[in-house]
Amino acid sequence: MPLFDAISIAGSGVDVYRSWLDAVSDNLANLDTARPTNQPAFQARYIVAQSVNYGGSGGGAMVARAAFGDAKGVLVYSPNSPLADAKGYVRYPDIDEGEQMTQLIMAQRGYQANLAVVSRAQAAYMAAINVGRS
Amino acid sequence: MTVGAIGAIGALSGVTPIAANALTAATPAASGGFADALTKGVDSLQATQSNVDSLAVKAATGDLTDVHDYTIAATQASLMTELTVTLRNKALDAFNEIMRMPI
Repeated sequence: MPLFDAISIAGSGVDVYRSWLDAVSDNLANLDTARPTNQPAFQARYIVAQSVNYGGSGGGAMVARAAFGDAKGVLVYSPNSPLADAKGYVRYPDIDEGEQMTQLIMAQRGYQANLAVVSRAQAAYMAAINVGRS
Repeated sequence: MTVGAIGAIGALSGVTPIAANALTAATPAASGGFADALTKGVDSLQATQSNVDSLAVKAATGDLTDVHDYTIAATQASLMTELTVTLRNKALDAFNEIMRMPI
């Protein structure tokens, strides 16, 4: 809506951070998704964000595509696992839990920051509408 | 070879009147430009409200992917409603002020 640009732009930003939250939660849920060595490992999911209308009227962000991490994964020696191959190795995903938790906090703060823009812009526009009311 | 007689020309039917635009008739006509602006504002407000209604239905049935879409659209709709009501109040005040002028 051309009338309240700041709110629409912040809305598109919130979409991007929500996608990031989804990707991080997917990675954290699959930390221990083991696969046999003849299959590729579970690949971590990253979101590629892209600006919309850069330099033109309006603005915002969108999710261009999802990028995937390393397919080789980490070979862990666990001969008792039912998925182990002849040498006793199982392929685990190459996901660092600490890094994923950091990204989780960044995604949460980005989501809240964009929603703060929405509520501040609403307060600003209400002040404009109230000019000369009484 | 016989040639048929030419038929008489029928009477002209009356011109159908153009249906009056009810909205522009209702708004106080300070000037044509302002009435058009108010009409356009109410139309876009109607479109925004219907968008919010459809999002509300999706949120209630659980189809909505982004919960913030609904709340942000509801915020924009309430802002537009405030703006339209303030415009109408100001226009009415100006109209009443003019009507109160002694001749």
